[in-house]
Amino acid sequence: MSEAAVFLVMVGVFVLLAMAFKVPIGISLVFSSATGMLVSGRSISLRHLTEGSFGYFDTILIILTAMIFMKVIQMSGLLDTLTAFFIQVFYRKKGRLLLVVMLLIMFPGMITGSSTTAVLSTGALVAPVLIKLGLPRLKTAALIAMGGIFGMVAPPVNILVMIMGSGVDMPYVGLTVPLLVMVLPLAAGTALWLGYKDINIISETKMRHILPPSLYQKFGLRLFLPLFLVFFLLLGESLFPRFFPRLGIPAIFLLGSLSGIFSGKRFNFFAATQNAVQEAMPILCILAGVGMFIQVMTLTGARGWTVISFLSLPPLWLYAGIALSMPLFGAVSAFGSASILGVPFILAMIGKNAVLTSAALSVVAGLGDLMPPTALAGIFAAQVVGESNYFKVLRFCLVPALFELIIGIGFLVLTPYIDKVI
Amino acid sequence: MKNKGYLISAGILLVLAFLWAGLAGRAFLKMFREESLRPSSGLTSKKMLSDYASVLTNTPGDTPVFVYEGSKKGGRALILGGTHPNEPAGHITAVLMLEHIKVQNGTVFIIPRANNSGFTHSDPQEGNPQEFFLKTSTAARRFRFGSRLTNPVHQWPDPSLYINPSGQKLSGAESRNLNRCYPGREHGTLTEKIAFAIVRLIQEEKIDLAVDLHEAALEYPVINAIVFHEKSAELAAIVQMELQAEGFEFRLEVSPPNLRGLSHREWGDFTPAFPLLLETANVSQGRLKGKTSQELILTGKDKFYLRAFELGRLFVPYDSRGIPLKNRAASHLAAVSTFLANMAFFAPEKKIHVTGLPRPEDLIKNGLETYLVPGSFSDRDQVRKIHIILHGQMPLFSR
Repeated sequence: MSEAAVFLVMVGVFVLLAMAFKVPIGISLVFSSATGMLVSGRSISLRHLTEGSFGYFDTILIILTAMIFMKVIQMSGLLDTLTAFFIQVFYRKKGRLLLVVMLLIMFPGMITGSSTTAVLSTGALVAPVLIKLGLPRLKTAALIAMGGIFGMVAPPVNILVMIMGSGVDMPYVGLTVPLLVMVLPLAAGTALWLGYKDINIISETKMRHILPPSLYQKFGLRLFLPLFLVFFLLLGESLFPRFFPRLGIPAIFLLGSLSGIFSGKRFNFFAATQNAVQEAMPILCILAGVGMFIQVMTLTGARGWTVISFLSLPPLWLYAGIALSMPLFGAVSAFGSASILGVPFILAMIGKNAVLTSAALSVVAGLGDLMPPTALAGIFAAQVVGESNYFKVLRFCLVPALFELIIGIGFLVLTPYIDKVI
Repeated sequence: MKNKGYLISAGILLVLAFLWAGLAGRAFLKMFREESLRPSSGLTSKKMLSDYASVLTNTPGDTPVFVYEGSKKGGRALILGGTHPNEPAGHITAVLMLEHIKVQNGTVFIIPRANNSGFTHSDPQEGNPQEFFLKTSTAARRFRFGSRLTNPVHQWPDPSLYINPSGQKLSGAESRNLNRCYPGREHGTLTEKIAFAIVRLIQEEKIDLAVDLHEAALEYPVINAIVFHEKSAELAAIVQMELQAEGFEFRLEVSPPNLRGLSHREWGDFTPAFPLLLETANVSQGRLKGKTSQELILTGKDKFYLRAFELGRLFVPYDSRGIPLKNRAASHLAAVSTFLANMAFFAPEKKIHVTGLPRPEDLIKNGLETYLVPGSFSDRDQVRKIHIILHGQMPLFSR
């Protein structure tokens, strides 16, 4: 069976199981991967299935611990306290509120290069503020999801560019300006577009009425310990890597969560972790399944077929191919998209400035975190606002995502001219 | 009753999970079994890399260093294979050399598995075989097809951002890439310790010529190349011309001064040696590769790469004959032999004269199997594998 046919069978089995038989997505992916091996004339290899899923081992740990952290700051009273603080400061200044909120969401992504970290840390903090000030839940989630993606792409840490850079021996220098030129207008525009119409300017009386209980008077600065600890460790590891212990993001979230036991309201930590695991399990299962799926795609040659098909596009269609394939491949992983497709695309445009090309490609690849079934940014943003169907959130991401795509591709097309300016 | 049902389901799933983990785990553990190394009679001493940096003692990064000292004085060379264990030509060339080399003038140090830890696992989502076999006259010789990076079991977690010992910012996973960690750190990560020990070896043993053997995907611009530090420029140019005359095409690539942490840059800046890095074209590590298999590693034949060549997307010539492992190893061997032979050109007292190595053209003609020391039948696993190679694939639910 040809590689293309193997790929189609894998997709077919997945769609059949997930849609017609309502088998959980993760499990459907396992069966479609196993089918892929069989129809390509191989036996079912547990080693390959396991190895593929381990491609997401770190991501799975980050998600799991970030979810625990989110539960802890909710249960300790920190979330309510911060919401109260933001509402008191910004209840009459919606433009500034939206811009500050967008920056806050982006910040963890900027220092870790991970949209999930951004969505599940500061995204979770600002969501109640926006909702209480009148922004509908779904739009709030869309703003958080887009903020997470902008944070992932924005400097100083853009893992997508680093991955592409390592494939073409390009050092990670000179990226700050081009990335900021693309991301800042997008971030500001998205925040205002999604929020300006709906956020209400309210009276002080109404503000007092919607204010959640602040525990600051009772616990003082101690309440903020989990947040301080997480940011201190994340920043320290990013800014002073030579002097800081290399803990990794999962351990940082876990330490932050543990500190929450002593920082505010008393709560059952074990119940918090149980709750977090329960909520995170479907996406963790999807990630493991996607890992197996891509391993089998590679094993059977379906990955090679996909890449060469896009590279076979005529030159004029190359940009269309990039616009289509990089976000689509993000359904597997945005980082995977940067590595598997980003590197060949940079090389296909070898005459252009690789720094600018990779920066633009990273903006396009970032959209992969909105692409189902993984859709990390979309899924977790939906979870943050309590929405079970993340497709409803993705609907509101469509316009900002389209602008992101236009800016990324426009930057790519205009690289020779931009090169002379910045 | 409902709880009892849940408990039974949970119990069954748990048993299945353990069974899966056990079977898959057994397959992963196989990667820890080292292939045999059979040095030639010219071997004068065998050291460990930890002899140059005690911090490596009893770590998975420690690796054998084979020393071949001639009866006459001369220059000193280091040949490094296995920096990236998914680039088999570098590893195989170092193995071939250590099995055949006899040194008359000077001393040659050979490290066949520079990143020993990288040989103990394979890259997730690359779908590579864990090993490949070369059938010698008696039995097959097994070689592991490892990962570009140190095993995360030995070095974990990766930072979000890796700033290497030379201050270069890289993605976190590169902290496990030996060829991004030079000049290393004595008390750094495992990979940095390995890099540190190699640099210390070059300094302590007063190495004059250091060659790092690599491969690259065909879509990567630095390929079929000799990458040289500026101080090795003259040697690289002479060798390139000689190789061209012998029918081996290598292009010259200068080591970029702003790309820090790579062997050709940091060995040149931190040691007196002439550093050089060789790249041959390896289909099996590319992003465009089709079905992965042992055959792909050995033959280098791939229809998608053929298509990519027709589209003008490759940096090397490629046709339906592929680029077999034997040809890639022959290219490495030809280049290394020419480097060694030319040391005397720069300083007569640095002469390195070696004998016993297979001729590269013979390697292409007769195959690697002819020149590897024959394997032993005593290894039951190897015999089973030969059966699989000769008679078909692994049974259903293989590991």
